[in-house]
Formats: sequence, structure tokens, C-alpha cells
Amino acid sequence: MFSFRDENHLSRRSLIKGLLTTAGGLAVANWGALTHSQTIAQEARRSGKRCIMLYMEGGVSQIDTFDMKPGRPTAGQFLPIQTNVNGIQVCEYLPNIARHADKLAIIRSMRTQSVDHGIGGYHMHTCYSSSQRFPHPEIGAMIAKYCENPENDLPSFVKIGSGSGIYGAGYLGPQFEPFVVSDNGQLPGFATPSVTPDIQDRRGDLLNFMEQRFAQQRPGEPFAAHRTSELRTIRLMRARRTFDVSEEWTRARSRYGDTNFGRACFTALKLVEAGVSFVEAAHAGYDSHNDNFPVHKGNLQELDPAWASLLQDLQERGLLQDTLVVWTSEFGRTPAINFQAGRDHFGRAWTIVLAGGGIRGGQHYGASNRDGFEVQENPVSEGDLFATIYRTMGINPRVRHYLGSRPIWATPEGSRPIQPLLG
Amino acid sequence: MRIFGFLLAFACWALVGLPFLAAQPAPFADAKVIHTLPWNSDVISAVAFIGNDKVAAGNKRGDILIWNLPSGDGKTPDPVRRLLGHTRDINRLLVSPDGKTLISASNDRTVKFWDALSDAGEPGTVVLNDGVPLKGVVEKVAKLPDSPSPRVAKVIVQKPLKELTGHKEWVQGLAQTPDGKRLVTGDEQGVIIVWDLPAGKELNRWQVKNWVRSVGISPDGKTVAASQHVPYRDKIKVMPSFHLWDADTGKMKMDLTKEITGGMSTVAYSSDGKWLAMCRGNIELEGATGKITLFDPSTGKKVRELTPGHSRGATDLAFHPDGKHIFSAGRDQLVKVWQLEDGKLVRDFGKFVDRGYWITSISISPDGRLLAAADDNERKIVIYSLNVK
Repeated sequence: MFSFRDENHLSRRSLIKGLLTTAGGLAVANWGALTHSQTIAQEARRSGKRCIMLYMEGGVSQIDTFDMKPGRPTAGQFLPIQTNVNGIQVCEYLPNIARHADKLAIIRSMRTQSVDHGIGGYHMHTCYSSSQRFPHPEIGAMIAKYCENPENDLPSFVKIGSGSGIYGAGYLGPQFEPFVVSDNGQLPGFATPSVTPDIQDRRGDLLNFMEQRFAQQRPGEPFAAHRTSELRTIRLMRARRTFDVSEEWTRARSRYGDTNFGRACFTALKLVEAGVSFVEAAHAGYDSHNDNFPVHKGNLQELDPAWASLLQDLQERGLLQDTLVVWTSEFGRTPAINFQAGRDHFGRAWTIVLAGGGIRGGQHYGASNRDGFEVQENPVSEGDLFATIYRTMGINPRVRHYLGSRPIWATPEGSRPIQPLLG
Repeated sequence: MRIFGFLLAFACWALVGLPFLAAQPAPFADAKVIHTLPWNSDVISAVAFIGNDKVAAGNKRGDILIWNLPSGDGKTPDPVRRLLGHTRDINRLLVSPDGKTLISASNDRTVKFWDALSDAGEPGTVVLNDGVPLKGVVEKVAKLPDSPSPRVAKVIVQKPLKELTGHKEWVQGLAQTPDGKRLVTGDEQGVIIVWDLPAGKELNRWQVKNWVRSVGISPDGKTVAASQHVPYRDKIKVMPSFHLWDADTGKMKMDLTKEITGGMSTVAYSSDGKWLAMCRGNIELEGATGKITLFDPSTGKKVRELTPGHSRGATDLAFHPDGKHIFSAGRDQLVKVWQLEDGKLVRDFGKFVDRGYWITSISISPDGRLLAAADDNERKIVIYSLNVK
């Protein structure tokens, strides 16, 4: 049961409010929470939760990672290794992750509906099918809305690289659009000033003075929204050094791996440490319709040190309890190996892994059958997964929003959090 | 008078010589399939002739089978021997120059030596059709198709004579000198090892930057050619590379990377040392990307590129013992025969299919009369008579 207080109404006024643009006409991402449901947002904020999503672009193979089938015709070329939890085995090319299995909740029973890249990416970012032709927000926008700290100078929803797709803030409004930095962490052009910080500060002060004078004569809300965006931009300029991890990266890269994805994971660590609510780091290149094994082997050798070091550093800095790390993809890959030594798209029984944020680690949830073609127990839908993530983040999975008079829920009807995973 | 005499001589040559030349068949024109050896257990990943009348093949389960080939095109034989010891994919097979030893490189990180000729061993069996039919097994198939009734062959089961365990990763590279004194191996950790072949003793090892996909060794044993790559990993930062290394010191002698434009599947020296060949195709790329490139090993200069390449990548190379031709196999179900001297495509074997099954490996018998091709379409080894005079 949810009271009316939980509902959010996106009126025309608030929509206009949300149209924040810079003086140069560029859309500015998710500054502020102009349409917050204060009750839910305050509750979520009290949890202090943050989320990092590691998105394996192209569709990662479950059988070659966390749901291995040794001795079966679908097993493929990799062998399982033991982890630090009895009964949990992972691929031999995830030796560092194997040492963190006590933190992992491995869902081996994902059954999802959209098994092509565009629609799968949308579905696994919004938990709704793209066929609904409705502007659902992606998960980062939802978490930004409810978990952001409005006082923080940094954007609340950051994507490192755009390889996993940008599905947008949908009905939550443009203030929750992702702030996208490049694969190597470089900021977009408008956030990289061409003048020195001193000059930039003086320009900001001058702009501030002029805007205040202008605002005294024009108290309308659209101008306030515009003004808010400008202030946020100025704040970002001052906080942008958080994105520059170059100095620390020289010490961290031997652990994370000297790769774009390794750096993205380290940047994600620094951002959540600085209070960013949601960071997505994409790891590209898993779409292995041919040559599945060398492709996955190469990718897993990049993934393993980066992901494991992220978990290690979150733990050592005392952040893991409040930071949910989601390892996901748009779908899995077929158990059968095709005639080009590849695996194809597969949604009927695949794997997603959660860690931290209060998730109970060291366990499997659900199972696929002997050869991996079907879920054998505890099927998990896109909605169930998102309900679990939202519940972990302190967000009501069935929170309602409105577009006009139409109610929309954060997860589809019937979605249920996976209780055994919740701490 | 002198001109008249020349014209008369030319006319005589034209009358007698031209018809004779025209009657000469193109090399390998009469080649034909004489045996098809079915083995549908897993992808057949390596093949090698033992002498001129036996063929060995290895698959991705780690099994190796040996067939005795009847002379001519007699009845298709069953395998007679099964070599048990590897636990994972067989990547390369080769036979020592004296024909007595079969050498195998595997994903189980070992190189094993087998008696190539002995018939001694334990009696056993092998099922030749327990593989999974893959075609059409995609999202909408709820389970793997059932295997057909087992087709069982009686075999002699044999164990390895010895093994080399110096590698910690999948061993993809395997080559030897024509005198059988040196062996070179390379793995996907980027480790290259030069071995004293008779003794099985490690002579030298060094580390390269990327995975080693294939190695070749010059006939004098002094130079190792290695193709190196990492598929998909940081595509921009880690490019494929092709280097010649000093086999005694592990120092780089030549960097041929600028001569290549993509990942390689196989490199090989000709036995006379005149040619170094490389084929592209470590990973599928659309188009006729499986080109073969010939180098002068003494200078490292590219001599010519053999085109059109195999569609979506080439997989293997073999020099013909006549010293004039090189054979290549690809992901287009073809084996192509090329003239070394001018790069001309002589002919191809098989039926072209773009995005089809692969010919994964080829081998030519020492006398040059037979070709073996591991064909993943219905999983079989196809034996061609090359009809060499």
C-alpha cells in the first residue's frame, strides 16, 4: 500500500522547470531534484546508498562466467575454479573475483524478454519493454531522483562511456538525464573550460551579479530553472577535478588493469566516494556470435582485475555496505556453440550478479537446468531484478509517477524483490 | 636468309610445341576426394599426415585419432588408434621429420609426444558421432538435439611418450626445424619457448606483449616468427603484431607489424627457408579478409599478397613439398592453392560458403600426393588425391 504522498506528478510547470539549459544551449544533466517526492527521497537519502552498474555491452555469456556446465556439451572451452565460498565456482579467467565470492549474490535464473541489443539494452536499463512506446527512465535516473544529495556539486547520474546506450530520464524529466563522460573519463566539452580557474571564477561572479539583477525584475519559474542550471554548471566546474583521477590512477592501474574499463571502475569508485548516487561503467565487446572463447577470454581478463579491485577498495574505504555493485548485460548467450565457434543472444536462463549495498553475498539464487537451456528454479524477471535493486537502495519499487493523468510505476505489476538477497 | 631460318624454326615450334603445352594440365587440376573420414564428436581442430599413408586428427575435446589410409580410393576406413592424454582442445599437430613422433599442442597447457608408428596399446573403442548437431540450436530451442545411434569403432588406445609442461596458458604455437633438432612453442600468456627437440629440454624462453597465436621457426633454427594478438581487448591500444625473434637470445630481430593489417592465424616457413608466409584470420572479419602474405625471411620485406583472400578469415597454411605452391584454408569452406613464384591462384577445393563452416586445418603428405582437410561441415576429415605425377 502506498499513500498519495508517495506519488509524483509531473505537471507542465514542473516539466518546464526541468528544461534546464546552459547559456550555450546545451542540456545540463540532472541538477537538483525539482520534482522530488520529498518523503521517498528523504527516506532513500537517509539510507546513504549509491550504486555502480557494470554493464557488459553486447551480451555476456553466463556459461563462460558464473553458471558453468563442466562436462556437458554446452560447457565450452573454459574450466571452473573454486572461490572463497564452498559450492560457488566461477570461470578460471575470474581468479580475482573468485576471492570476493563471499560478497556476490549470483542470480542464475534471469529470464528476460528482449534478446536483441537495442531492445535488450532498453529493457535492462528500464525494466520495461521498449514496445510500450512510453518514456520510462533508466535505472540511473530513478536512483538519482531518489538518492541524490542536492547539495552535492557533482551530477547524481554519471555514465562512463556511452557504449551501453543512453535511454534517458524519460518521464522523470531532463534534470535526471545522465551526465556522460568518455571511456577514459574525459569530461564533455562544455565542462572543460578554456580559461584558467581564476578567470573562470571571475566570469562566474560577473554572471551571477548580472543574473541576480535580471531576476529581480523577472521572478518566473522558468527563469529560476534556467538560473539553477547555471549555478549547477558553475558548481560542476569547481568540482570537475573529481573526474580527473590521473594522479591516483598511476598507482591504481596495476591493480585495476591498464585498460579503459579498469580506469572506468576506478573513476566510479572516486565518484561514489565523492557522493555521486549512480555511476554506470560499460565494458564493450561481448557480442561473440563468432569466436566466443577468445573474445570472452580477452574481456574477462580485463573485467576480473577491475571489478575485483573495485570491490576491494569499496570495502577498504568502508563504502561497500552502502554501495550496490550490479554486474549486468542486455542478455546472456546461448548454451549451444554455433558453427562459427560463437554463442548467440539468449534470454531464457542467464546470470546477473549483485554485491554490496547490504546484499547478502556468498550465495547463488535460482538455477538453470543441466545444459543451461531453461531456468530450473526461481525465475527472475527484469522487474524482479529492478525491484530488488530499488529495495536495496531504499526506493519503493512500486512508487508511482504520473505523465499527465496516466500513472506509471517504477517496476511493472507483479515485480517482486528477491527476498533472500536482501540484507 | 637468317630471318627466313628463324621464321621457319618458330613455325616448327608453334606446330609441335604449342599443342604440347596446351595439353599440359594445370597443377592439381585432377585432384579429387578419395576418402571422407567422419568424426562428429567435437570440432576437429588439427590434422597431420604421418608418412604418406596415415593421418592424425585432434579435436576440441582433446582426443586424437589416427587412421590408416588404404591405397587408392578403397573403402573408407575407421580410425585404428586413439591417443589419450590431453584434456582440452588440440590446437596443433605435427610429425617429426623422421616420421616417428607425433607432437601435439593443447589448451591443457601441455605439449605431448606420441609414438607415431607403433600399434601397441590397450584395445578400446571410440564413438565417432556423439557430438551435438549445432545448426539451428539458438534461442528458441529448448534443449540440445539428441545424438544419433552411436557409431563405434574399435581402436588401440595409446598414451603419450612424454610431455612438456613449461606453459601456463593455452599453447597455440607449435613448429619445428626440418632437421628435427629444435621445437618452438608459444602460448596465450605471450610466452615463447625454444626446445631442444630430441631431449625435450628448454633452451630459451621469452615474453612477448600479446597472446601468441602461431609460431614458425627458420630451417636453420635461428629465427622464430610469431604472430601476436589479443582479440577485442582495448581494440585501439593492443594491436596485432608480427615479429621475428632471435631463437638463442629472445631479442627481436625484425618488426614486421607495419606489413600486416589485422590479426593472424598461422605463420610458417617453407622448408627451404626461401619463404615466410602468414595468413590473416585470428578472428572473423567480414569480406575477403583472409589474405595470405609472403615475406622474404632474410630481409623481412613483403614480397606479395595472395588475393582474393578467404572470406571472413584464413585458418591454416601448408607449403607443398614441390617448393612451388602453398595451400591455405579458410572460414569459407575452401582450400586454395597458390603459386609461390607469381602469387597466382591455381585452384580451390570445396564449395564456397560465405559465413559457412570452417576448414580448420590442413596437412599435405610428405610425398605431396595427398591433402587432408579438417572440415567442420558435418565434422569430417576430407582426403584429396592431388594426382601429382
